[in-house]
Amino acid sequence: MTIATSVKQCLANLKGIEAQLSSLALNSNDKGAQEVFHDTMLTIASVKKDLQTRVLELERLEPQYKG
Amino acid sequence: MPSWIDIIIRSFVFLALLFFMTKILGKKQISELSFFEYVSGITIGSIAGEAITGLEKNMLQGMAAIIIFSLATLLVDILALKSKSFRDFIEGRGTVLIKDGKVLEENLKKEKYTIDELSALLRQKNIYRVADVEFAVLEPRGTISALLKKENRPLTPKDLQMKVPSEKEPQTVIMDGSILNEALRSSGKSRGWLATELEKLDLTLDNVFIAQVDSYGELTVDIYDDKLQVPSPSERPLLLATLKKTQADLEIFSLETHDEKSKTMYEKNAKLLQETIDKLTPYLSS
Repeated sequence: MTIATSVKQCLANLKGIEAQLSSLALNSNDKGAQEVFHDTMLTIASVKKDLQTRVLELERLEPQYKG
Repeated sequence: MPSWIDIIIRSFVFLALLFFMTKILGKKQISELSFFEYVSGITIGSIAGEAITGLEKNMLQGMAAIIIFSLATLLVDILALKSKSFRDFIEGRGTVLIKDGKVLEENLKKEKYTIDELSALLRQKNIYRVADVEFAVLEPRGTISALLKKENRPLTPKDLQMKVPSEKEPQTVIMDGSILNEALRSSGKSRGWLATELEKLDLTLDNVFIAQVDSYGELTVDIYDDKLQVPSPSERPLLLATLKKTQADLEIFSLETHDEKSKTMYEKNAKLLQETIDKLTPYLSS
């Protein structure tokens, strides 16, 4: 597995985590829990953004792994 | 009129009367917390029994006595709400039997309790050493309430300075195969949500004996057919595992890459994720 694919996989995982956190934030009844889920979702979103830029860079450096 | 018909009529009349009287007096009468309620509870019961089977007497006399006793209890309850000194007089006050870890023999004698009886009461509370007790009160009803010394109390998360998430009470949304609308509303979910969740578990509504929603919006069900296995909700522990895996991935990337800029980016984000995991662990580990 090349670096590009594993980074992409990691990115996919992050997207899944973000979606699950957002659903937990919506489904929870407790205010505190809702807040924690929402906050962490935003953190995950920022990590995701960084990783997305890195994926684009990798694709530019190694065009053969594009896709 | 044959006497057995009389008994049937009397039984139903007194059942109805007792039911309404206890409804008026409320839960307080049932718990028999004060001396007065204890006495009136017993008396009302025996008057009813006497009036039902004592056929030679007039039924109305018994009814009058029950009503008088109930109203007197009600009146006392209302007056006790108004005045503290009246309350102390009628309901009695607790007697302190152990203070600062020492048995107060004077009070024990005043209540005519022997030390054996005191230790029996303490044993009912699972206390076997008087030395473990900081403070104990004999309540007006004759039960004992004991406060253990700090070092003998059970350990709580607070003692360990652990952060635990607050939890709302679970709501029972399905009972005997029918949806309880009120509980569904207070859990903030819709019928559509419930239908989707049941479909996810491959169940129909009439299969479900009981279903509860916890404060994370997870549905736990028990079905009629006990041979069928219903998966318990595992979304949150799985999410925690995925988070940990992703964090580890990022650390690996940061070690593998030779590009300085992306190395710091990976390191920064791995740290961010670790903080996130620490924050979420109390909520995600069930």
